[in-house]
Amino acid sequence: MTSLAALIRARPGGGVLLTSPGGNLSAGDAATLGFGEAVPQGAAVALAIADPAAFVRTIVALDGVAEALLLLAPGLPAGTVAELMEKAGATILVSDVNEGAVLPDPMPGARPEAGLETRWIMTTSGTTGLPKMVEHRLSGLARSVVANDRTAGHVWGLIYDPSRFAGLQVVLQALIGGGRLVVPAPGMTMADELRFFAEAGVTHLSATPTLWRKMLMLPAGAGLALQQATLGGEIADAAVLRAVAAQWPAAHVTHIYASTELGVGFSVKDGLPGFPASYLADGVKGAALKLVDDMLWAKPLAGERPRGAHLETDADGYIRTGDRMEMAGDRVLFRGRESSLANIGGMKVQPEHLEQAALAHPHVAGALVTVKANPITGSILQLTITPAPGAPEGRELALSVKQQLKQTLPRELQPAIVRVAESLDISASGKLERPK
Amino acid sequence: MNIRAKITEVFNEIWAEDHDVPPPALLDDTVLLETGMDSMAFAVLVARLDEELGFDPFTQSDDVYYPREFGEFVAFYEKFATQ
Repeated sequence: MTSLAALIRARPGGGVLLTSPGGNLSAGDAATLGFGEAVPQGAAVALAIADPAAFVRTIVALDGVAEALLLLAPGLPAGTVAELMEKAGATILVSDVNEGAVLPDPMPGARPEAGLETRWIMTTSGTTGLPKMVEHRLSGLARSVVANDRTAGHVWGLIYDPSRFAGLQVVLQALIGGGRLVVPAPGMTMADELRFFAEAGVTHLSATPTLWRKMLMLPAGAGLALQQATLGGEIADAAVLRAVAAQWPAAHVTHIYASTELGVGFSVKDGLPGFPASYLADGVKGAALKLVDDMLWAKPLAGERPRGAHLETDADGYIRTGDRMEMAGDRVLFRGRESSLANIGGMKVQPEHLEQAALAHPHVAGALVTVKANPITGSILQLTITPAPGAPEGRELALSVKQQLKQTLPRELQPAIVRVAESLDISASGKLERPK
Repeated sequence: MNIRAKITEVFNEIWAEDHDVPPPALLDDTVLLETGMDSMAFAVLVARLDEELGFDPFTQSDDVYYPREFGEFVAFYEKFATQ
């Protein structure tokens, strides 16, 4: 039941905790950050914070003080924020983007004496519907954190949104592990972020394969002196693993398997795609794994188990991951999500949502979405539509549908390609044929 | 139509779908991701070029390569067009 602030006080190295374009924060000051009267002890607090430096200061100030922290992605509509807060029982909002909220600006020396074990409520990513909530404890979230003399010298750059699982892992490793966390200012382009990271001496980076490909395509990426390159959140294929190793030859290239559902996953350090088949027999640090009909099931071995109503758990305590695998010799390779769930640049989307949105167009009679592999974002969506009576000609119809979808759907759910066809394939059961 | 002209045409088409301003001039040393096109837009560019040209050098290539400049991008496609 050690708070984040106490872990920071006890961390190896000490010194500078956080570097942002706004300046440095020392570990000593961070451990005394508090909100005073603005956030009473024992309150359930929601966070929607766009500035990563403010986010980090806020979680350090409130872990152990708040009864619960509900981590929301910044930029959610006010209605969604209110709905999630009500569901989670949160009564105070700390935010630099939502109106009428407490500003995420805790002061050194204002931390009250408190010893609560804060519930961390994380929300899953997704493009449609209300995000799902999964509850954790700090002990579980920090299970894979390593803290020693070596980790005290690591300088982590934060590319991820820290309110998400992958970003929070980076934050906790840097804060507790004794290293320094370097965060960008909100609104920076990735080229600016990379230049800032290089200037600040970043040695460790964690990002999705999509973001790594982007870094490989930006000249500023070459300025980084990386010792560690971690890929996660999407399938890391052989191509991106090899390209990262070639660009940063001094870096250890690791890809990790982790999900909000699982708590913490595991990492693969040999630079090859998938993971060794021996993991299935022997387990891997922190988790036991098994395949049932090519489906990966995982069981966290220690720490707090994640709790969430939608998790499917079997009698032995294994959780169904939803990831399809394939055995290839002595490797187990990732083959994508089950059913039709697609991963587009790290965002999990349901192709059916695009179909429904396309059918809302007055000149669309039928719609079918297929998921196509893509070397830049992992996959993209391809939409085939059939025209309704009175619809304009092919190209004009495609453009009109594209324009309408652009206004109603998030970027990742928009089709990369729109085709107009005379008819769609219908299976014997009367369902649209979704090619595998 | 030559490869460079085709790539420019598809690039400009995708640009016009996302922007109200004219597309940038594509010179050999133009950094692709600093033109204002993001990863999603490049994913779309590669997918549409696959449709139009009938190949995708990224998945066909054994040499792992993510071109940074427009000239490199064109050369990457030209190399595979002749194979």
